[in-house]
Amino acid sequence: MSTFTTRTDLEPARLDALAQELDALRLRVKASLGERDASHIRRMQKIVAGAEISGRSLLMFGWGPISWVAGVLSLAFSKILENMEVGHNVMHGQYDWMNDPTLHSQTYEWDIVCDGGHWRHSHNVEHHNHTNILGKDHDYGYGMLRLTPEQRWSPGALIQPFTYMLLAALFQWGVAVHDIKIGRYVKGRMSRAEFAERVRPFLRKAGRLLFKDYVLFPLIALWNAPRVLLGNLIANLLRNLWTNAIIFCGHFTRDAHVYMRNEVANESRGAWYLRQIQGSSNLQGSRWFHLLTGHLSHQIEHHLFPDLPAPRYAEIAPEVREICQKYGINYNSGGFFKQYFGVLARIVRHAWPSRPRVRSGIQRGPAGEHVAHVIVA
Amino acid sequence: MALLLRSSWLHPLNDRAAWSQLLSYFNPLWSLTEARARVLEVIDETPQVRSFWLRPNAQFGGFKAGQNVMVGVEINGSRHYRSYSFSSAPRADGAFRVTVQRQPGGRVSAALHQVKVGDWVHLGDAQGRFAPRTETSPVLMVAAGSGITPMLGLLDEMAQMQPQRDVVLLHCVRDAIDEIAHAELTARCAAMPHLKYLLHSSSEHGRLPPAALGELAPDWRNRDALLCGPPSFARAIERFFELHDAQDQLQTEHFGRAPLMVDEHADSQSVSLLSSVQTFTAAAGQSLLEAAEASGLSPLYGCRRGICKTCQCQKRSGVVRNLATGELSGPGTEWIQLCVSSALTPIEISL
Repeated sequence: MSTFTTRTDLEPARLDALAQELDALRLRVKASLGERDASHIRRMQKIVAGAEISGRSLLMFGWGPISWVAGVLSLAFSKILENMEVGHNVMHGQYDWMNDPTLHSQTYEWDIVCDGGHWRHSHNVEHHNHTNILGKDHDYGYGMLRLTPEQRWSPGALIQPFTYMLLAALFQWGVAVHDIKIGRYVKGRMSRAEFAERVRPFLRKAGRLLFKDYVLFPLIALWNAPRVLLGNLIANLLRNLWTNAIIFCGHFTRDAHVYMRNEVANESRGAWYLRQIQGSSNLQGSRWFHLLTGHLSHQIEHHLFPDLPAPRYAEIAPEVREICQKYGINYNSGGFFKQYFGVLARIVRHAWPSRPRVRSGIQRGPAGEHVAHVIVA
Repeated sequence: MALLLRSSWLHPLNDRAAWSQLLSYFNPLWSLTEARARVLEVIDETPQVRSFWLRPNAQFGGFKAGQNVMVGVEINGSRHYRSYSFSSAPRADGAFRVTVQRQPGGRVSAALHQVKVGDWVHLGDAQGRFAPRTETSPVLMVAAGSGITPMLGLLDEMAQMQPQRDVVLLHCVRDAIDEIAHAELTARCAAMPHLKYLLHSSSEHGRLPPAALGELAPDWRNRDALLCGPPSFARAIERFFELHDAQDQLQTEHFGRAPLMVDEHADSQSVSLLSSVQTFTAAAGQSLLEAAEASGLSPLYGCRRGICKTCQCQKRSGVVRNLATGELSGPGTEWIQLCVSSALTPIEISL
């Protein structure tokens, strides 16, 4: 088995140089945004609508198992593309510059039980800002999985392979309740009133989507109701499994690094960029694979520049890789199965007690000066 | 029952936005949520000025003569609006005319000049009030260049409703080639016996001295005065009225936006909040978020480094610099992130 890559730490001057190069890259892409990006996202919206209409029609009016399977796949495809390539990216503000109210980050509401407002907070603010900082990035393990030895072990972790399977099957629900922060309420760190306030948007959104998929459309289908109900259920399940696998490959692969709170105090822009690169990992694949992942297959580029239109990530990836090489930073990229296997291995490995690997690193003083070359254990 | 039919529990069946999106794929004018208009006719008025007859869809709420409207076009993927006066009166078939002068370096007016018959444009709501204050009083209209456009709309209405109205129209142009709608106005004179149409050519006679108003319309003091033109022209005429303590009888339609002076060396700029009629100052280079907080406001914020867009809000006017990228914004309505924007001119935002 190959060795793990170690985390790179850079001198402040190198960090500044890194930040400058990445800022320049971002500016260059920003300046070139235009018609091409606008027609891409509009084409995606059309495909989403077309696939949803055909999927739902096949389920409602079709006959026999073949049309049922086709309907499920078409609907699942539509839901995946809507969540990943349209919803996630639009809500990051990647298309705000178009000044089109139907594609604006502040108003877009996606087709998933997670309320848009909750998502904008837990994802855009907490996760993208504090990526892979233990205790601050609540997406790291989603408060239920132990993925790295730096997280405290408890006997409850032993069942996490099963917890994970459950989470994968019900992923949209995991995402939806994430920003309510139920754990805080259970531990008595949140008042009942605040909890109720946080739950309300979730109930509102989830209620409507449940009603749509499991009451409204089955009712319209009359005698085809069971067929539609089951089809919608399977389509949602497929979407859950897929998005879960892709999202877990973003930050929990074998070589994705974690950071401790004290390491990131007064972090410079360069250090922030560096953490984004080392906390993220990419997937390799075809154009349609990238589209179905919403270009989260270019997680590194997405975390460096969350508000650039996603198809641009694929274009700038070679350049980002080159910059990483220049600064001696590992560019974590691999095929889907290799990366996902790394994730599953982590989930199983750290279900059991584990100790941090021995890692050599540079210890820095409060002003960022080089204090000593130490072995961190 | 009606409430039930509108309930969001029935989405997507009764989701206007979703249906609108679908219908727009077939015909953009079928939008159920946005006002849009089809271009019926394009008329070259002068080498720099073009008129467009537009037929709006059902989402457009109508207008009164003398008002203006935001017209939007997509330029390289992003939608831009500018406001233009209606140069016609409302008609039974809903069609109206706007007249657009091509501005040097103006992206929107340049894009509008590319628009062809059969294309469509975005519309905002009609806004403003620019019309004689009473139904009967004699009127003095003073316009320079494309400032004639709201006057064309008002005269169109008067020709239909009050052809006997006493109007003096003074149009200042550079030379004969800049006479917008000359034929139309000449024809109006035939239909309106008490319309006096005066042209002043500045290439022949120099800039119009404001005092000349007194000679061209000796009874100007009895007239309801309407003024529209470029800022320096409008200012000179306004000063004439102020000098005679007659500013109450004058209404000015400001010509586009007043030009914004970006002063890189200013220590601070004022920031007005449209929602609450509040104002605070932002120091040069200070982010608007910090400035707002320093003045006791607490806008929503997230990452404070320009990535999460939680603090995003709409700027209505003014120029800001993006502190993360160094880019300057345009002068009009745009979304900005408070945490990475600093004010270069006085600005207006809605939080």
